[in-house]
Amino acid sequence: MNPRTARAMGMTALVLAALTLPLWVTLPYFQHLIILALIWVVLAQGQNLIQGFTGYVSIAQAGFMGIGAYGSTLLSVKLGWPIWLTMVAAPLVTAALAVLAGYPSLRVKGHYFAIVTLAYNMVIFIVLMTWSSLTGGEAGISNVPRPPSVAIGGFVWDLAGRVGYYYLTLIAAALATLLCALILHSRVGRVLLAIRQNEALIEAAGVQAWRYKLFAFVISASLAGLAGALYAHFIGFLNPDAFGVDHSLNAILAVILGGSGTLSGPVVGAFAVVFLPEYLRVAENYRLVIYGFILVAATIFMPRGLVPLVAQGIRALAARVKRERR
Amino acid sequence: MIIEILQQMLNGLAIGSVYTVIALGLTVVFGILGIAHFAHGSVAMSGGYLTFFFGERLGIGFFPAMALAMVVGAVIGLLIERLAYRPVRDAPHINAFIIALGLTMMVEGINLLAFGADQVVIQTPYRGVFNVGGVAVAELRVLVIVTACTLIGTVALLISRTKTGKSIRAVAQNRPAAVLMGVNVNRVSAIVFSVSSALGAAAGALVGALLAIAPGVGEGLAVKGFAVLILGGLGSIPGAIVGGLVLGVSESLAAGFISSAYKDVIAFMVMIVVLLFRPEGLLGKR
Amino acid sequence: MKKFAKSLVASLAVATTALACLSAGAAEKELLVGVNDSLTGPGAVYGLPQANAVQMAADEINAAGGIKAGRDVYKLRVIANDDKANPTEATNSVRKLIDRDGVKYLLGFCCSGPTSAVASFIERENALMLVGNAAERAITAKGIPNLFRTRPPADFTGAAAGVFVGKRGAKNIAVIGSLDVGFYTQYLEAFEREFVKAGGKIVAKETFGLKDRDMTPQLTKVRALNPDALLVLGYVEPSAFVYRQATELGMKIPRYGFTSGSEEQFLRVATSEQMEGVWDLRPTELTVEALADNAKTYVANYTKRFGTPPSPSSPYAYDQVYVLKQAIERAGSADDPKKVTAEVRKVTVPKEAVMKYLPVGGTMFDVNGQAYTSNGAFQWQKGKWVYVSDLPSDPAMYSEFLRSLRK
Repeated sequence: MNPRTARAMGMTALVLAALTLPLWVTLPYFQHLIILALIWVVLAQGQNLIQGFTGYVSIAQAGFMGIGAYGSTLLSVKLGWPIWLTMVAAPLVTAALAVLAGYPSLRVKGHYFAIVTLAYNMVIFIVLMTWSSLTGGEAGISNVPRPPSVAIGGFVWDLAGRVGYYYLTLIAAALATLLCALILHSRVGRVLLAIRQNEALIEAAGVQAWRYKLFAFVISASLAGLAGALYAHFIGFLNPDAFGVDHSLNAILAVILGGSGTLSGPVVGAFAVVFLPEYLRVAENYRLVIYGFILVAATIFMPRGLVPLVAQGIRALAARVKRERR
Repeated sequence: MIIEILQQMLNGLAIGSVYTVIALGLTVVFGILGIAHFAHGSVAMSGGYLTFFFGERLGIGFFPAMALAMVVGAVIGLLIERLAYRPVRDAPHINAFIIALGLTMMVEGINLLAFGADQVVIQTPYRGVFNVGGVAVAELRVLVIVTACTLIGTVALLISRTKTGKSIRAVAQNRPAAVLMGVNVNRVSAIVFSVSSALGAAAGALVGALLAIAPGVGEGLAVKGFAVLILGGLGSIPGAIVGGLVLGVSESLAAGFISSAYKDVIAFMVMIVVLLFRPEGLLGKR
Repeated sequence: MKKFAKSLVASLAVATTALACLSAGAAEKELLVGVNDSLTGPGAVYGLPQANAVQMAADEINAAGGIKAGRDVYKLRVIANDDKANPTEATNSVRKLIDRDGVKYLLGFCCSGPTSAVASFIERENALMLVGNAAERAITAKGIPNLFRTRPPADFTGAAAGVFVGKRGAKNIAVIGSLDVGFYTQYLEAFEREFVKAGGKIVAKETFGLKDRDMTPQLTKVRALNPDALLVLGYVEPSAFVYRQATELGMKIPRYGFTSGSEEQFLRVATSEQMEGVWDLRPTELTVEALADNAKTYVANYTKRFGTPPSPSSPYAYDQVYVLKQAIERAGSADDPKKVTAEVRKVTVPKEAVMKYLPVGGTMFDVNGQAYTSNGAFQWQKGKWVYVSDLPSDPAMYSEFLRSLRK
């Protein structure tokens, strides 16, 4: 069996598993976690775009998620807009903010950029906490509605239930991954990768790097905005604590852990970041230390992340098997 | 009115001097080694917790406890340099930054395990309050300012007058050339990190005495430290001094006269604006 | 003979087994009690003592033989979850308790943010929720059938406090507090209404966050206005910083607060001299002179067990356990939360209760599911909170007002 067939079979199996998931995962608690993980896939793909592909670490991803979450919620709860519209508007609002934030800050290099995005996240967090007439402050906004059911032909897609929402987030995660794949394989993607390798060189070649950086930053923020909207209407309750700096750090961890610059890396990373706390619950206090250690160790010893490492391992294994066969 | 302004300014000077000490610790590492050592805030927290515990367990006074915490801080700095940053010294900058983030989580996590999640207030015997023409001058705040000045002065002297200081300046100016001149970069790196972390520990002790140490405070301090760096110019010690005091005082004035809720936002806005229009800082060289 | 012996042994065996089964039917069962509280974070000053109090009450009940309901005897097992004073965490934690652990009885709830989050969905669940220290009025104003609260809403105390401060002669008062938080605003509204009636005026309203520590800018601003007194509305820790920083700024005016903080909690931040003379205008909670023998026993047992005195508001949770016990005994079983809930409505103040409740309409909880305690003025004197006087309040009138808020 050649690797391509193996990969195709693996992908098909994965797709089938994902499509039939509610049949074989019936515990509501795990369904809840999987939906959260899919929402994080959208977030992590965005983070990967700016961090993995372009090489600029943004520490604002959770902040942008907050903008999308509150944006969609306020538009639907206060202005009465239909939820499918607010879910589309949320990434657009976030994108607009990202243009405003990114335009000045992408003119500066790596370290500065990261610190400025950290400042952005903190500003967003403080505003969400303090502007309580709009956002409810620390007490937050409760009773955020689920999207209404959609009738397609004779089939009713009940989005109020967990199973229905699962398919919604599955589609969103798939679209996010597809978008990043398209970008990666396009000319824009090649420029972004070149920026990561050596920005000075590509500028010397006459490319206006800031335009491409801004593009990556804005798309990354919009994905965060979409993730935020999905999150708000799922959890039903919104509070600034979910969008603090520590969650931005989790997004960075997800990308590093899974594999910077790959397409499957963020998927693995997102699931890891959502599920690990549940299994490390016994060692809840150790969680921060473990995460930090993983980040440090991964950067020193496997800077390309888990997925490439595993892929490499599989290839090596396959090669050994082939040799033995002969 | 004038008394109110003076009072707010005096309040701001105390916290501003702490920002300066933090910024100093950051600027020596960033200016000399090019590393945005984000975990510095968490190291400062460790210093604060340690000061509290040395004071409680060993029954010693605030300043001896702080000195002891500074020694431990220096050791922490050495460990961080050797184990976390040195392996990626020649790798892309982004790696060092990610390590800084990972270290932040680790040190915060260790602080949580060792000292718990409750806030810690370092009680000192300095509770006097003097009335100077209507302005209340708290003994503790004066001591904080004096301590900060002493620390800053000592470090400034170390860098400008000693032989070690010369090697440090050489590495800052041009690392390959310094290596060629026989400077031991590893040694310089280690010294810079120990000094930086000792300063951080002291800052943590001062924050613990003025206000409190708690999970999450470290991050805010680190960001404000970077704001001061950017305001004053990277690698500039006078810049750190001016920047820290300016930040502290403007925060206090803004909180008093505009809005206390958005006080922290001031620091960040300042940083963003300065980065956009004068990235080399108010006192930096273009 | 052998055959007879065999059948005798056999029938004896059958009989014994049957007897064992019969008593197993009326045997010991485990009753899971879920506590959702702020065990860490800014709310821990309220939440951790509450969680401890519930555990202590459960152990007391188990040691005395458990809860006897119908033919069953229930031994209590407490599962305590930390919501970190965070509404999202609280929602997740309660979801886990209900979905994963199968808990039907939820106790604790010290802080309004997380409690309101849970209250927004608890009506749909097959569970009973007993709220403690959380002071937000809206929690019981909505008429949620399976939610009851042992602590009176903040404005019930605020009005009484306004009358008290007015009577003490202050004419201009400056307020500094977490005024973004609903229940502090409610306390202030009620306070202001009564204070203004007594001829007073509020000259400033400064805000600080629940986690803030440096309030010197706000205090400096307030000092310049020369008020007669200061009203501080915040959690224990920020209030402690305010009291300390007020002395550091040379302010010598009377300071009134609403914290329910214990001496030990305050002394971690400020010294006793800095606290001298500070008032706490709050429900007549646990200060030994104010309450009866139950309170003395409670303080002694809690201190012995946990090494530190209980916080003044921890009995709200302790009493919840005894309310639950009485309701289960009346219902005859703990299996159906709906039946137990119906009994909670009719419960009278348990004899083991520590707080001094004022029943409305003969039952401990009124039509809104709200219980009322009297209000008191406490003052810090030489390192201890001393009960100075009662703050007169009318629970029946307030109960009607609360009912009228339901749309």
